[in-house]
Amino acid sequence: MKHILVIDDAATVRLYHRNILETAGYSVSEAINGIEALEKALVKSYDLYVVDVNMPKLDGYGFLKEFRRHEDITQAPAIMVSTEAGTHDKALGYAAGANLYLTKPIKPNELLSYTRLLLGDVA
Amino acid sequence: MSSTITISDEDFLKFKEYFYRKTGIIFDYSKRYFVDKRLIERIEATESENFRSYFNMLRFEASGNELQSLVNTMTVNETYFFREEYQFKCLVNSLLDEITRKKTDKSPIRIWSVPSSSGEEPYSIAIYLLEHWAGIEEWDVEIMSSDIDTEIIAQAKQGHYSARSVQHLPKTFLAKYFHYQDDGYQICDELRAAVEFSRVNIMEPSEVRAYRNMDIIFCRNLLIYFDDAARRQVAEMFFDAMKAGGFVCLGHSESMSRISSLFRVRKFPEAIVYQKPWEA
Amino acid sequence: MAIVKNQTPHIQCVNHDERIAERDFEGLVEELNSDNPTERRWAVRDLTKMPEASSTLVARLKFEDDASVRAAILNALAHLGDNVAIAGLVSCLRSEDAALRNEAIEVLKEAPEGVEPIINNLLNDADSDVRIFAVNILESLRHNNVEQWLINVIEKDPHVNVCATALDLLSEVGTEHSIPALKQLKIRFVSEPYIGFSVDLALKRIEEGSH
Repeated sequence: MKHILVIDDAATVRLYHRNILETAGYSVSEAINGIEALEKALVKSYDLYVVDVNMPKLDGYGFLKEFRRHEDITQAPAIMVSTEAGTHDKALGYAAGANLYLTKPIKPNELLSYTRLLLGDVA
Repeated sequence: MSSTITISDEDFLKFKEYFYRKTGIIFDYSKRYFVDKRLIERIEATESENFRSYFNMLRFEASGNELQSLVNTMTVNETYFFREEYQFKCLVNSLLDEITRKKTDKSPIRIWSVPSSSGEEPYSIAIYLLEHWAGIEEWDVEIMSSDIDTEIIAQAKQGHYSARSVQHLPKTFLAKYFHYQDDGYQICDELRAAVEFSRVNIMEPSEVRAYRNMDIIFCRNLLIYFDDAARRQVAEMFFDAMKAGGFVCLGHSESMSRISSLFRVRKFPEAIVYQKPWEA
Repeated sequence: MAIVKNQTPHIQCVNHDERIAERDFEGLVEELNSDNPTERRWAVRDLTKMPEASSTLVARLKFEDDASVRAAILNALAHLGDNVAIAGLVSCLRSEDAALRNEAIEVLKEAPEGVEPIINNLLNDADSDVRIFAVNILESLRHNNVEQWLINVIEKDPHVNVCATALDLLSEVGTEHSIPALKQLKIRFVSEPYIGFSVDLALKRIEEGSH
């Protein structure tokens, strides 16, 4: 079973993403900010990261930049999810190492179809 | 009188999320009985009417005292020799080697253990270095240990322990570094002389300021009891007390993700440890 | 080689404590421009005790690039807590720098007394991002009015993500008072599954929680 790490400081968002992804057969873990995400991602390889931008302690850009520096860790794709829709924000997301940048609020099918695409699970 | 207070599923979830956000500790459903029981204890102890009024008080109380009491009930804070031993393994197998590799002089390596409590942690570090680190032949190490409580420091300096406190020590070490005395175990003078104990209030910048150039700080199972602002400020004072490239070790149920963003997350085979960046 | 005691009696106090610069206000301000981040950090620490320091610290914050010095400045401003300091922290919410925005939110959350008087303004700011940050700050305010502020947000704020952020907090602090506004919000954003999900969750928590 493929394992996805959902990183968001809002409990409701984590639960929403978890429900969508688990229903589609993925296994989901959660992290509340970029530091906790690093603590988890450096220990266990996930198949995909769903990353919020604005979070306390370490934001989504910071997490991805730091995570992408680790050449000893399996690098998996990351979907960045943000309330900010500006081109500047998107550019920052891609520069930090996101494979995809989506703007909140997310529709279940949107999250799921991109997840499948990035994981090569296209039916 | 048996309790009439109940915790509903939704109460549990709400509490679980809040506690996770504050402490990083996750209670899944398998811990439900444990959590409910302790929550009900605290609801009764605070004479709250029900979960809702208790949760409301917990969340909005300015002092944060109730959250501290709750963390106390939900975690085991017992100190004994070789507690959380994996970190001492990390110290001798990974951290010290990295530190010595990057050192440019032969000055002593400085380790600070806070809080000292009754001394089990700093003495465990000393034993670990003597027994498990070959580098001790080559390097000097200073072990400092501080606490806010002068009585507990006196106890730590004395170094007399119960059987319970030494139960996780290998028998050979017990025989080598302790002798049986007055219904307990007295640590040897060599180790007593190896640790420098001092009193410090880590919340007070003017007191912490005297502590400098630390290579490694052990601060385990303390910050989890502090509120958000206090634990961040303490971590930032640690930052100032450390050399660039130095390491902070936290307790097993603690995470820097709830404390400060100034440190880098480092993964070693034995443990996750936090590092003051070299660039700074 | 061995385990040794500190060479100097008791605790070592090194160079920074024998600071050469005059520790008066002008000296500290000068030290804020030092090339050494450690010196800048200590200057900030000492300035924290000087009520007239806020505007200087706010000015430095704008171009300070060392994270540890920035953290010290943000702490100092939260500690000073005067109007200039709070306004300086609030101005960070509009920064292009996500890290600075989030750091500012954190310290504002830790200085609830300073934020309370301006929370209404922030919740009505023209910029939806600032309104989201204001809701984030509400999370830590220990104030009887928090639920009512959140209800106002979900009743009136036109931006879906501002409402979504308020919903996350309402599922934790909401009571029966929130129910009508929650139901109304679900209708207002009927085409947004996330809002539907969050409203249902908040309602469930309120209705099934112990009374």
